[in-house]
Amino acid sequence: MVLVLALGDLHIPHRAADLPPKFKSMLVPGKIQHIICTGNLCIKEVQDYLKTLCPDLHITRGEYDEDTRYPETKTLTIGQFKLGLCHGHQVIPWGDLDSLAMLQRQLDVDILVTGHTHQFTAYKHEAGVVINPGSATGAYSSITYDVNPSFVLMDIDGLRVVVYVYELIDGEVKVDKIDFKKTPATTHSAH
Amino acid sequence: MGFLVLREKKNPSPISVPQTFVDFIGSNLDSNLAMAKERIPDWLNSSLWSTTPSVDGRLHRFSLSPTTTTTTAAAAVSEPIVQPTVPVSPPAAASRPQYTVTSQKYEFRDPIDKNSNNNSNDNDQNASPSGVSPDDISRQAQLLAELSKKVVNFRELRRIASQGIPDGAGIRSTVWKLLLGYLPPDRLQWSSELAKKRSEYKQFKEELLMNPTEITRKLEKSAVDDHSKSESSGLLSRSQVTHGEHPLSLGESSIWNQFFQDTEIIEQIDRDVKRTHPDMHFFSGDLPLAKSNQDALKDILIVFAKLNPGIRYVQGMNEILAPLFYVFRNDPDEEMALLSGFRDHFCKQLDNSTVGIRSTISRLSQFLKEHDEELWRHLEITTKVNPQFYAFRWITLLLTQEFNFADSLHIWDTLLSDPEGPLETLLRVCCAMLILVRRRLLAGDFTSNLKLLQNYPSSNISHLLYVANKLRSQASN
Repeated sequence: MVLVLALGDLHIPHRAADLPPKFKSMLVPGKIQHIICTGNLCIKEVQDYLKTLCPDLHITRGEYDEDTRYPETKTLTIGQFKLGLCHGHQVIPWGDLDSLAMLQRQLDVDILVTGHTHQFTAYKHEAGVVINPGSATGAYSSITYDVNPSFVLMDIDGLRVVVYVYELIDGEVKVDKIDFKKTPATTHSAH
Repeated sequence: MGFLVLREKKNPSPISVPQTFVDFIGSNLDSNLAMAKERIPDWLNSSLWSTTPSVDGRLHRFSLSPTTTTTTAAAAVSEPIVQPTVPVSPPAAASRPQYTVTSQKYEFRDPIDKNSNNNSNDNDQNASPSGVSPDDISRQAQLLAELSKKVVNFRELRRIASQGIPDGAGIRSTVWKLLLGYLPPDRLQWSSELAKKRSEYKQFKEELLMNPTEITRKLEKSAVDDHSKSESSGLLSRSQVTHGEHPLSLGESSIWNQFFQDTEIIEQIDRDVKRTHPDMHFFSGDLPLAKSNQDALKDILIVFAKLNPGIRYVQGMNEILAPLFYVFRNDPDEEMALLSGFRDHFCKQLDNSTVGIRSTISRLSQFLKEHDEELWRHLEITTKVNPQFYAFRWITLLLTQEFNFADSLHIWDTLLSDPEGPLETLLRVCCAMLILVRRRLLAGDFTSNLKLLQNYPSSNISHLLYVANKLRSQASN
């Protein structure tokens, strides 16, 4: 039972001051085992804050990140799942499922987490699952101003993943969940 | 034997202890104290209660008077010499008056039990070739006879058990189960009771040791599997979260929240279990046996903590569980069920960690005052050794930390078998512990007394229990 927090596109301090207080009250240290961040934090203080939640932190570079040392993409294995991380501004057209699927096959991962669009989405295709946690602060994006703060918490347990989606809609936190099971047959082999 | 003989011995030998006592009386004309003088039994004032091994220790043994020897190893050496006296004592013992509640057999124990007890201790510790004494064997036979009856007679069982239960043949395990009320007296019901309790424990384990992911999976009967098979690509369907149950939930009733709160307790249990009895290979070390024992201890403590939200886990429960586990080692299910079964007896001790323990300690103090006012006065008033400093650990951990493992098993035999209840017996044993070192205590100041009481010197356990038993009869007079 591994809890993985996926979030990104906070754009602190340029486009947002901080995470919504309701989100902050829920994110307490000691519950989460891993944090994966799609990018665009943008400053080091945000990274320090995330480090206090969980020492195992993975970040990829977003186009506005001030720390240039983050990698473009990252892969990690948690339990039975391989996760891939990328900000997503590199994948054109932005947010396009087929292009992202290509990236997923390139990275050879079961779950690909990308951002940049500031909209939560969760797609499934033959090669795996693509999750976009949206923007945790609700910062405006290059595409739209109408953004709800959201982030994603994944509960990885064996071959099953339960994805909890936390969204702040009209000032209230709404939680949904998505069940995803990895069948051994869907493990893609390198062609 | 001891009682009458001592009375004679006391007068001719001028010893410092009664001398100071007499001075004490003389200097204080309080009538209460005068009455107290009568209450202090003569046998208390004898030098024989010193814990330092006396040179004439062996002589004493020949004369069949109770001595306290500090090491069993020394006794083992002198074993072969003492053995010849064993057949001599029973006839002499037979003529002794009966002044304890337990029967004649208990009297026999007095001079011999050092030998037999030392024997059994040796068997525990160094597997000495001295073997099991005849008295031990007879006790074992008695216990087996009692246990094989159709309906076990509890009074009889308690009587035999209070003398000490031999370590072989799993007798202790069965006797303790009976004494703790885990098994009914009717022998025929044993197997069904055992099976029932074991399945209960298994059920508890399954329910309580599950993590929330599994719980949520069990709760919902969604047809997610069919769904994911049918859609090969496209948006994943989102479903509602039931009852606001998500991992970051801060709600009181949320299983996730409870899980994270429990994690703290589980961590504490883990730390304590790893520290239990580090000197015993059974409990610690790198052997897989030790590992599995530790895991079992942990499971038991976690299940107990969850079943008893009032007490949860208190540091020290692992120490109480350790001897139980050791005795019942073949069946972890039973210790757990036992732990919950006897919680009324023992866990009141831990429950006392807030208020009740203070009353128990004050009772101990009162007890000591009744039996040995001089010592009490010296300890509490002159040297200001507050009983809380030493008695807390004695009482809450049921003396497991004060003696070595084998001795504490022996003490527990007596604790469990006493019809008055373990708490009463415990108080008496603590009082006896104080009385046995009274010479050193009376001579010491705060620092040395505290040091002595917090590192209680190892002594002859059967002797300690004998004194404790004596205190009972004293109080009832």
